[in-house]
Amino acid sequence: MEFIKAIAEHINYVASVALFVIGLYTVLTHSNLLKKVIGINIMETSIFLFFVSIGYVHDGSAPIINLGGGRVLYINPLPSALILTGIVVAVSITAYSLSLIIKLYEEYGTMDIDEIMKLRGEGKNG
Amino acid sequence: MGSQHFPVYILLSLLATAVIIPIINSESFGKVKALIIATLSIALGLSVRTLQEVYKNGGYTYNFGNWNEKIGVQLVVDEFSAFMGLFIVALSFLIVIYSLKDIEHEIKPQQFTGFYTLVFILLFSMLGMTYTNDLFNMYVFMEILSITSCSIISIKRKKENYMASLRYLILNTMGSLSVLLGIALLYMVSGQLNMTQIYLTISKIWNLYPTNILVAVGFILTGLGIKAAVFPLHVWLPDAHSTAPTPSSALLSSIVVKVYIFSAYKILFKVLGQTIVVGLGIPTYITYFAAIGMIMGSIFAIGQKDIKRMLAYSSVAQIGYIFLGLGLATVEGLSASLFHIISHGLMKSALFLSAGSIIYYKEKRDLRDLDGIGYEMPITMTVFTIAAFGMIGIPGISGFMSKLYLSFAVLGANKPIYLAIILISSFLNAVYYLPIVISAFLKESKNRRNIMAIERLPKLMLVPMVIIAVAVVAIGFYPQIIMTLVEKAVPTFLL
Amino acid sequence: MDDIIVKTITRLIVPFIQVYGIFVILHGHISPGGGFSGGAVLGSSMILFTLSFGLPMASRKIPHKVTSILETSGILWYIIIGLAGIYLGGKFLVNKEAGFFMGQAGELISAGIIPLLTLGIGIKVASTMITLFHTIIEED
Repeated sequence: MEFIKAIAEHINYVASVALFVIGLYTVLTHSNLLKKVIGINIMETSIFLFFVSIGYVHDGSAPIINLGGGRVLYINPLPSALILTGIVVAVSITAYSLSLIIKLYEEYGTMDIDEIMKLRGEGKNG
Repeated sequence: MGSQHFPVYILLSLLATAVIIPIINSESFGKVKALIIATLSIALGLSVRTLQEVYKNGGYTYNFGNWNEKIGVQLVVDEFSAFMGLFIVALSFLIVIYSLKDIEHEIKPQQFTGFYTLVFILLFSMLGMTYTNDLFNMYVFMEILSITSCSIISIKRKKENYMASLRYLILNTMGSLSVLLGIALLYMVSGQLNMTQIYLTISKIWNLYPTNILVAVGFILTGLGIKAAVFPLHVWLPDAHSTAPTPSSALLSSIVVKVYIFSAYKILFKVLGQTIVVGLGIPTYITYFAAIGMIMGSIFAIGQKDIKRMLAYSSVAQIGYIFLGLGLATVEGLSASLFHIISHGLMKSALFLSAGSIIYYKEKRDLRDLDGIGYEMPITMTVFTIAAFGMIGIPGISGFMSKLYLSFAVLGANKPIYLAIILISSFLNAVYYLPIVISAFLKESKNRRNIMAIERLPKLMLVPMVIIAVAVVAIGFYPQIIMTLVEKAVPTFLL
Repeated sequence: MDDIIVKTITRLIVPFIQVYGIFVILHGHISPGGGFSGGAVLGSSMILFTLSFGLPMASRKIPHKVTSILETSGILWYIIIGLAGIYLGGKFLVNKEAGFFMGQAGELISAGIIPLLTLGIGIKVASTMITLFHTIIEED
């Protein structure tokens, strides 16, 4: 019972670790390059979830200045602000890797890394 | 007190140049060249001044926008970062001058401006990583660095380049994510992102959370290990460094990889501190990986036929030396590893630049086609020979001195087994470097007509190589030039 | 994509998206959002335009040259604002100490250099999104 309760209380950490492992599995096992990029995106999302969870305060509100006065409990805005930067970085990496995949597809006619390796091997021998 | 802003001026001038280059009219490449050289000269001058100021007045921190270091971004300008900033700017200045001629041979004319934009953003992010004192800022610079370093590989529009840079990008991103997860774990324990503040917090509470810190350091070091090509994580390096245009290979192999090692220093000794790192037993594991890398990198290099691929595998072995010094976690070890960063940076850039000149002039990259090339390209091959002898460890060249310092450090740390590994690795280096030198100078080429040709390389390519070679020999005879600077830099990490 | 419904709807909706993007950029210092989010909205309006009217029409509206100059000027603007802090006797990007007008919290004209920086970021992000999209679809 204690164990289930502990999991329920930290469900966001559990989810982020699960997503990280799913992403890593996708990157490592799939031979399709597009799926590898999707796996990297899943890993990025998991870490963003983890980082934002650190800053979460129970019952806290969004950290906007309260002009009406009175003390309000805020969540920690720093991790959210950092993750905004992280998302920008993730978007640029995705855009760059997708454009590389387009180029590879034009050159080899396939997006499968095993096939590309086979084609390269034939090119070397012939 | 204008001098405290110098590091900011360096960073901003590089960034501004990077964004101004694309809007200059692309036909007037001369203007671009003038701008590049002017900016790099300014950056070099400011770096020298920064180093002088730091030696005169001591290190200082620079808070952006006067924000408190708990919430703002902070640069730290001390003996280490000022010295390494100077090293990065000076070496890349030489490589960029070389590239002005060589790049015409490697990529299409309409991409010149794009290449130099990328190079300047690359320099900007490397200096940023060297100067920064904030973990998240380090991560952002690291991502900029990984994207630009992949782009300067894929800018040469060939099939192999696309594959190499995609593989580099995927592994690099996984490394960055691993570093980010480690930073998140450290933030969870300490609630800070500033390195000094984390050090102050963690040194009080590390007994409570040893596992958290160990996991965090594990993630960060794995990520940095992928990026710095420590042995089992080096798979991207040979493809990436051998297919890239020559100036890119020289930049990547002699500077970019080192910047990640600076970050590893910072994480281990500035964020955590020697007590915690040694208490958790982290350095021992680093030395194991380093020792395996020193042997295996050389063994892989022996089997290579392509000259640039062989140099790339040799980098894997040399990074093992640097991490061995780091893993000893003593003052001598750290100074040996810093010294080797400098000397390997110089030697490897000389090797890559001279290999690039051979490819530029002869259009040949196979090691078996180099018979008698020493008579056709005497200056290039002399540079190559000096740097290759340095890699092997012939006395009188800087590589020997770094091996000597490293051996003393190993003996001082009472781990004589690593001395044997250094010797075996040097022997293996000789196995793959000496045949090139011998075939270049002592064998006769089948289709050589004239007895002694005059070097016909452009001056713009020859001069940087000769300067680097002279520096390598000078450091070999007078290692104190660098060692005094290194000995001032080490106390910022260890006391 | 020669569809009369898509073209008409796009023509109707693009100005509203752009006004919303500019609103988010200008209110970056007093409400959620700011340069990146507003710039993304602004850029996506142009992407919508390109998708429905085709690249030639879009490059006539906003040529490649213009977007690249806007990108450069966004960063240079940020650098110049930051250097103004040094010039006025503080550090890079210093705000209150350099004597910029702080105003009253919650009003549109307040917070010193932050709205100016947000403006630069918004221009940069919007033009970068447009350039990236146009470059990617140009190449095939």
